[in-house]
Amino acid sequence: MKLTLTINGAPREVEASPTARLLDVLRGPLALTGSKEGCGEGECGACTVLLDGDPVNACLVLAGQCEGREVITVEGLADGQSLTPLQRAFAEHGGAQCGICTPGMLVSATAYEKTHKSLVTLRESIAGNICRCTGYQRIVDSIERAGDADRTGTFGSVGA
Amino acid sequence: MSRTARDRETHAVGASVPRADGTPKVIGTARYVDDFPPMPGELFGLTVRSPVPRGLLNAVKFDPTFDWSDITVVRAEDVPVNVVALIAEDQPVLAARHLNHAYEPILLLACADKHKLLRAKQAISLDIEPLPPVLDPEAALQNAATIWGTDNVQKRYLITKGAADTPTPEDSLPAIDAALAACEVRVTGRYSTHHQEQLYIEPQGVIAWWDDKGVHATGSLQCPFYVHKAFLKAFGEDASRIHITQAVTGGGFGGKEEYPSIIALHAALLAKKSGRPVRMVYDRKEDIEATTKRHPTLCEIETGCDKDGTLRVLKMRVLMDGGAYVTLTPVVLSRGVLHAAGAYSWTDAHIEAAAVATNTPPNGAFRGFGAPQTIWAIERHIDKVARTLGMDPLDLKRKNVLTLGASTATGQVLHTSVAGVECLEKARAASEYDHKRALRSPPGSRKARGIGAAVFMHGAGFTGSGERYLKGKAAVDLLPGGKLLIRTASTDIGQGTETVFRQIAADAAGVPLANVDFAVPSTTVVPDSGPTVASRTVMVVGSIVESAARSVGDRVRAEQASSGGTYAEAADRLLAREGTVTSLLQYSPPDYVKWDDQRYKGDAYPCFGWACFIAEVEVDRDTFEVTVTDFWSATDVGKAINPVMCRGQIEGGALQAIGWALWEELVWKDGLIKNPRMTNYIVPTALDAPPFHTLLVEAPFSFGPGGGAKGIGELPMDGGAPAIAAAVEHALGFSLDDLPLTPERLFSKSLTKGASL
Amino acid sequence: MSIADLAHHSMWRPATLPELLTRLAERHAKTQSTILLAGGTDWVVEQELSPPHSDPAKLPLLADISRLEELRGIELTGSTLRIGAAATYLEMRRHPHIGQGDKRAALLARMAQDLGALQIQARGTLGGNLATGSPAADGVAALMAYDTTVVLQSTRGERKVPITAYQTGYKRSVREGDEVITAFEIDLPARYSWYWRKVGTRRAQSISKVALAAVAVVDSGKLTRVGLGMASVAPVTAPLQNTRTLLLSTPIADLTRDSLAAAVRSDCAPIDDVRSTREYREHCARVVVHDFCRQLGAPV
Repeated sequence: MKLTLTINGAPREVEASPTARLLDVLRGPLALTGSKEGCGEGECGACTVLLDGDPVNACLVLAGQCEGREVITVEGLADGQSLTPLQRAFAEHGGAQCGICTPGMLVSATAYEKTHKSLVTLRESIAGNICRCTGYQRIVDSIERAGDADRTGTFGSVGA
Repeated sequence: MSRTARDRETHAVGASVPRADGTPKVIGTARYVDDFPPMPGELFGLTVRSPVPRGLLNAVKFDPTFDWSDITVVRAEDVPVNVVALIAEDQPVLAARHLNHAYEPILLLACADKHKLLRAKQAISLDIEPLPPVLDPEAALQNAATIWGTDNVQKRYLITKGAADTPTPEDSLPAIDAALAACEVRVTGRYSTHHQEQLYIEPQGVIAWWDDKGVHATGSLQCPFYVHKAFLKAFGEDASRIHITQAVTGGGFGGKEEYPSIIALHAALLAKKSGRPVRMVYDRKEDIEATTKRHPTLCEIETGCDKDGTLRVLKMRVLMDGGAYVTLTPVVLSRGVLHAAGAYSWTDAHIEAAAVATNTPPNGAFRGFGAPQTIWAIERHIDKVARTLGMDPLDLKRKNVLTLGASTATGQVLHTSVAGVECLEKARAASEYDHKRALRSPPGSRKARGIGAAVFMHGAGFTGSGERYLKGKAAVDLLPGGKLLIRTASTDIGQGTETVFRQIAADAAGVPLANVDFAVPSTTVVPDSGPTVASRTVMVVGSIVESAARSVGDRVRAEQASSGGTYAEAADRLLAREGTVTSLLQYSPPDYVKWDDQRYKGDAYPCFGWACFIAEVEVDRDTFEVTVTDFWSATDVGKAINPVMCRGQIEGGALQAIGWALWEELVWKDGLIKNPRMTNYIVPTALDAPPFHTLLVEAPFSFGPGGGAKGIGELPMDGGAPAIAAAVEHALGFSLDDLPLTPERLFSKSLTKGASL
Repeated sequence: MSIADLAHHSMWRPATLPELLTRLAERHAKTQSTILLAGGTDWVVEQELSPPHSDPAKLPLLADISRLEELRGIELTGSTLRIGAAATYLEMRRHPHIGQGDKRAALLARMAQDLGALQIQARGTLGGNLATGSPAADGVAALMAYDTTVVLQSTRGERKVPITAYQTGYKRSVREGDEVITAFEIDLPARYSWYWRKVGTRRAQSISKVALAAVAVVDSGKLTRVGLGMASVAPVTAPLQNTRTLLLSTPIADLTRDSLAAAVRSDCAPIDDVRSTREYREHCARVVVHDFCRQLGAPV
């Protein structure tokens, strides 16, 4: 059946079972493979996306539950051709190593920057995202540096 | 191979340049194996596995009411040569009759419809006659039941030094015992470590297909040429018809060193039989159950020293659990035994080691490769010696740590790049160890604080003659406009190979970093650089890349000098004239490396990385939960090509070691894993990880690239666990010899009378 | 991987509570099963772990109740806090009477902070936590500490059940097949102390080995109201009745380690499993109760 949801700012109609996992619909018919599957049980956070602004595990949300709602994936973080300060910081300051946790980690860090700063600590904001490479210190540093970065006039290139 | 005086105008080495693969990783376009869109006609594959740790497979029954018409089935008899090529060739690609461990693959299924595939698996029943399994390594060593070879022993080693180095081996043991008896202070101990799962966040996966060029496999893997060799053996195809390509890989840590050969063989077998491309991606449960893990190890140590703390005599016995098949166990045991004496000087040593088979899934490569297990033992033991002597453990380590000119247990005289003392002193000062060690937690407090240290070294590159036999190769091609392309089989699995190699090549050739590219590691395109393992990528392969890039750069400059124009113009002229301009070089280890593989004597490694890790902990006296409040380290990397990436390696490795020490534990019952899930196999989150204070020390290795880089990949895995244990011991006041230090175990230990220090 | 079954279910999104109750009653009468799906943080995981269904046509109907308005609000009326069964943990943490503002039900926010991580808190609900029936449910322990009333509705009407009477055994409850947990009602004392301690497998993404939630009203050195809820020490969330009786009957200054330990021991029956051991759980149950009482000023 047809589902209608807003994906990365644009309304999308997608042919999918409403009881399919959001993750499968993103990675399959929507071809947004940035969200990863590391465990399939809401532990690793590699599939984290924003659902109406809050981070959720796309492996535990059914597509039909997102009908009419807004989903933002890692592919929707960058503004056009520019990396966000967070993305840039992850590439420059060691926040990304193997990169498999990076999409989910960036989505959680984005939610922290945008909405959760007053509610949770930085480390708490990414506690649902398991990283096996970094020991988290470079990720914490990357998020802190992005927070310090000048938010205007950022230029980057995408898809090199 | 060190940098010459002809210093180039570019200086990429030493700068924390951004990751070369950073942008695709942060915008989500980096393509991991399961991100490739389905190929036309693609099937999904899965594995039917043994439910028992040991047994005989009598029959496989297919439910006749199920529609098998669109299911591809591969069984042992479908494998041309049913062996996974590695060291011992004892492991079948699919078990035919003898089942030697739980989760051993028996048959393979493929279908276009995933849902039907799962139901097909349900429609198969296995008729198995279970046999009593051998699960305990000590029982395996006793050879109560023979499950491997004639005596269950997969490998043995003996290292002797000083008094123990007797002309006839039988005299060695009495000699070391006599040396021990002559010592002023003798201390004995027994130390054990447990399994550890690599838990890369991207599970194993491969896509395989056949066409007129032969067989192709693209997957999440560390060593494309391992898979190539496995295909060569199992399929008997010509080498030129086997094409193995690394996809972007979501972590490996050794777990994707040898195992990917198996999943790739399985996918290729299904692809061959079905005539369709086949994708196999494990789910987390299957990945934890079926793939390799760190070898559990038991070490027994007896040492002798002077009353002033001068270490004299080491007698050690190492027993590793290899699991059902050999995989890389002889090499893991080798590295374990070569690090067993720790970073200390011993006059006399007798270290005997054995690895035995058990009916458990084969253990294999995992960052550190046996060394974390033996370093756990020796570090714990040295701390025990310090207690016996009434000395501070770090003082005792400072007194005995290997220095320039000292000799290791294999008799290797260290004559370059030795930084144990420097690391120890730097970490000690930065952490305020002495001040904190003297503090005592107030008795009434619910929290007990502690601080503890580990001092260690890790051999960089392959052991002994390994690099000489391996003849690793790498190439640098000149591209139009004076750009360079690095071709190597060394894979980037997150550690930053792509970025660091570009930095090395840019400086060596004297070109800007942006002008250096890195070829996707595919066996059809890149030369065999040897595997991405053993802390050898930067130090060994990086030095080939450096020489090759320098050679290409020199040729362009020579052209420029003779006929003028810009560097790019000279490069284009050269290419127009010669067609291709490539430097393909082979590694030759430093001449001084002399190793006797029979007697296990000599230069085990061309050099070592050194480190001191210091952990501060807070232990809840009620619940025995351990919080690592701060983690200090000083690590000698030779030369930090990219300091941010070096720190990332050190901190990531340290946290894996902390996880191993405090939380990670596979729960076994009758040879089966009871917690094969990320909710129950507990790795640390950002809230569990300490703040890391990471100091880089640079004691250059003159044969390393970029001005002296050494291997850094495994070293940080070695010291985390003993540093944590030393700190917890300091906090709680009772000795800890066995991993893991879960609250349950600390609680049990607290109840044991006489455990107090 | 049997997650492949999921897409073969049917999903129904009722627009209103009456619509949900009506269809639920019809299906129940025909013995057709219906899964009430809120955050899915337990149920979807269970699907991941279970073998594929032999007949996809017989899969239960999924009713998505995650956005049903009647199940969602959080309101304070007088001293009664009403939390919709499908309100999420994150909503509680953000709420001006729970995690923010006057924090009159701060225990709930503190519990929620330790539950999973933000991704789970953004989906998970108290209703789901209770309905799933896991003995390790942190949320249920907290509800028990507040002596919460569970509100159930069906076409037959509404009934209210004390939380301690809701669970009747491991994964069993008083809820009938046509009933929906719609809300929780908490009578908040004007002044009270609360306690939360989770002993988990790690700091986040953790299932409790033992967790204690407690609410206490103290008057002149005596406890006049005590509510306790302990996770992971019995087949159902443990209300620690004997401990509660002891606390209500003994001046704080007269509480002893031994009397508390004996009461806790009689209230718990923990087991060995992959996460912990019986002995450790018994020990932790005891020490967290001691710690709670110590915070109240007991000489233990």
